[in-house]
Amino acid sequence: MNLAKFILGRSLQIALALFIIMTLLFVLFRVMPGDPASMIMDPKMPPEAKELIRHQFGLDKPLLLQYWYYLKNTLRGNFGRSFYYPEPVFEIVMRKLPNTILLFTTAVILSYSLGLPLGKAIAWKRGTRLEVGATTVGLFFYTIFIPWFGLIMIWVFSYKLGWFPIGGMLTPEIWSGQATSLEKLLDILYHLALPLFVLTLLFFAGSMLLMRNSMLETLREDYIVTARAKGLPEKIVRDRHAARNAMLPVVTALSLSLAFSMNGGVLTETVFSWPGLGRTLVEAVLNHDYPLAQAAFLLLSAFVLFANLVADILYAYLDPRIKY
Amino acid sequence: MKKIVFSLLILFLTLTMACAKKERGEVRVTLNIGMQDEPKQLNPFKASDVWSWHIIGFLYESLYTRNPETFEIIPWLAEGEPEYDEETRTCIVHLRKGVKWEDGTPFTAQDVVFTAQVLIDFKIPRYISDWDFIKRVEAMDDYTLRFTLKEPFVIFFTSTLMSLIVPRHIWEPIIEEANKTENPLATLLDYEITAPVGMGPFRFVQWRKGSYVKLVRNPDYFATGREVKGRKVGPFIDEILFKIYRTTDTAILALQKGEIDYIWWAIQPGFIGSLMRDESIEITNNPENGLRYLAFNLRREPFNDINFRQAVAYLIDKQFIQTRVLQNYGQALYSIVPPGNKFWFNPDTPKYGKEMSRAERVRKAIEILKEAGYRWNKRPAINDEGEVIRGEGLIMPNGQPVPLFTILTPPADYDPLRSMCGMLIQEWLREIGIPATSTPTSFGDIVNKVNTEWNFDTYLLGWKLGIDPDHMRTFFHSKEVVRDGYNSMGYINREFDKLADASAREMDEEKRREIIFKMQEFIVEEAPYIPLFTSAQVEAHRKDRFTGWVNQLDGIGNGWSFLFLQPYEPR
Repeated sequence: MNLAKFILGRSLQIALALFIIMTLLFVLFRVMPGDPASMIMDPKMPPEAKELIRHQFGLDKPLLLQYWYYLKNTLRGNFGRSFYYPEPVFEIVMRKLPNTILLFTTAVILSYSLGLPLGKAIAWKRGTRLEVGATTVGLFFYTIFIPWFGLIMIWVFSYKLGWFPIGGMLTPEIWSGQATSLEKLLDILYHLALPLFVLTLLFFAGSMLLMRNSMLETLREDYIVTARAKGLPEKIVRDRHAARNAMLPVVTALSLSLAFSMNGGVLTETVFSWPGLGRTLVEAVLNHDYPLAQAAFLLLSAFVLFANLVADILYAYLDPRIKY
Repeated sequence: MKKIVFSLLILFLTLTMACAKKERGEVRVTLNIGMQDEPKQLNPFKASDVWSWHIIGFLYESLYTRNPETFEIIPWLAEGEPEYDEETRTCIVHLRKGVKWEDGTPFTAQDVVFTAQVLIDFKIPRYISDWDFIKRVEAMDDYTLRFTLKEPFVIFFTSTLMSLIVPRHIWEPIIEEANKTENPLATLLDYEITAPVGMGPFRFVQWRKGSYVKLVRNPDYFATGREVKGRKVGPFIDEILFKIYRTTDTAILALQKGEIDYIWWAIQPGFIGSLMRDESIEITNNPENGLRYLAFNLRREPFNDINFRQAVAYLIDKQFIQTRVLQNYGQALYSIVPPGNKFWFNPDTPKYGKEMSRAERVRKAIEILKEAGYRWNKRPAINDEGEVIRGEGLIMPNGQPVPLFTILTPPADYDPLRSMCGMLIQEWLREIGIPATSTPTSFGDIVNKVNTEWNFDTYLLGWKLGIDPDHMRTFFHSKEVVRDGYNSMGYINREFDKLADASAREMDEEKRREIIFKMQEFIVEEAPYIPLFTSAQVEAHRKDRFTGWVNQLDGIGNGWSFLFLQPYEPR
């Protein structure tokens, strides 16, 4: 009952936040100098043609009216048409989003399922060589510059050793021929392997370090001393008493990184020529493709807010002290 | 748990590698091209990005085209020269017989009439300037066309007759549908083409969005077997695969590994060194048909003074820019038409400061300014060793000091060449007390300040040009001094306007050339723009796969290359 009330309250907050975000997005893109028509630098296009383009895109209408249309259409689930692509904006986003989610969400889940146990283990063995070693390696990968690291990996594993493709998501020779579904699936996995490996390695470092720190904090608590004094076995103290509490900040981080994994990381997608949403976003902003940029950012925001809500609910289950 | 994850990983790797080793089937000659992005769309009325045109360009043809070496106009879908009658302002064009669209429908004059009608009726922004002076296009019979012009415009021959033609039987229903909607133009432009029908050397087969585009040879291509410049027209390639590599680094690795045969965009000179060492790769270096220039706001002092502009022109050391900034991958420009455009380039325009030493340039600039009545608080001078002693506080003839002013350039990450030139020009000007400041500014911001608000002092930008020099008329004609017009400098000269108008109306090529030469002299003399340089189109392709690339202005990625390319056979 109380939980339902909490969720309702938070949902209202989310709706308000989304409205503010919509307004901000609208304003931000309009204060950027220029518009799609002014970016056309072709001496064969007379100024009247540019005026015509503005008219086509509805940019000659008063700003408030544009804003009104934007709110009205978005609420009806109509995100409009891109200025450059022939498809509705929603379709463009939905075409690219699964690729991004496939790569990034898989990487986040894999890295957390490896990072949490390892972080727990090395915190428990504090001061040993294992801990020092794992922390150093973790810090190395945590701070590394992804595009550079990605390029090195491509050079070693794709170019020199030839184990993986240099980029992309599909092999044209397979997809344009008569390959079976299994072969197509394997082809995607074959392309996925290297970027997934690189991303998992990087995310893994973060989750491991976070878990280690959180675990170290928890181990200083009085109830750990109590648990030990009771004569509980080490494994139970570690797993049930320490780790469960140490999970709390890590869950927050996980829910947020799942949300942020939607936008992909433009640089990673670029290095691996992965056909995801990140690069499309940047391009939409640079090209003044307002409908596309607005819709994509709005969807991202909605997802982040939603993930936050989920994290809050999860808390209630993980931490008995929290009650809604 | 760990064991399961581990064994899954091993399984996954084995499977994927097994998949990679799979044998490919039939032997077809495939040209693999690397692109940096995929096309946005295949609608020829709307598409504006280069990647879309890299595909669309293979599908449609035009009545006339340009010779690969001389750029001379040659009949393509047409037969013989256009027969223009000055009296009636009509032009007869005969069509080649037996040409078919790829679905087997014959190509006739009706297709041309239809295409023209669409472009004119809908006022399609990309094409309208080539068609709005056409009064009528009629089909006399299936293979004869008559164009009637409202007024004579030479771009009728150089642009209108080179527009692409779309098939009427495919587009008519689309147009009818569009006409039923509230906004026909928007409907037409938003129309998504998924299976284009053309008649070009290659046919569209498949586009898997985000990954690749596949074209196959058109076995009924009308020009196959013809001879152009002593070379047989193909295509001799069975299919083309366009693959996407987002960075030049990975594209180069793919080229070296043989995943692709050609990278269809210019690579930065920084990559050249390592590529030169690879024996299977060839680097081509062609000038770009472009123009980077410095422009002045002639509405402001002292830029409204021709003496000031000429003095600045003397101070800019283009030779230095060519050798140091461009590392000789590019060319210093002294006219508004690049020298690579051989027929229209005037080699005899004034060349401010060419082959002058630093001291000579400075001396000349000081002399010009002094004669025009400028003074200095501290006069610049040149000592016996030929070094420049800096001047300060330049004062205009009206007694006011020259105000601090900005040179807007794109930021270094957008174009390092232009931002570096901006810095150099700032220093060269400051030496004699001209208070210039180079200000890297985002591209959108510059365009806005320059084209829309006219709120600028000077700026450094560039143009990509066509072969026809009609762009000069657009850049400097006073009728372009309007919001979003091309004459952002506010350069108004009635005499130039007259020349420019005459150049657009002169239908005789030799006479027009004389006018175009005069216009170049005029602009260089008056210097509303100072032409700086044109960069090079440096490209990389594999030597051991195909031969017959055509080196041209703007590089080897031109239609002729793909018509002439032959599989490489080792001797």
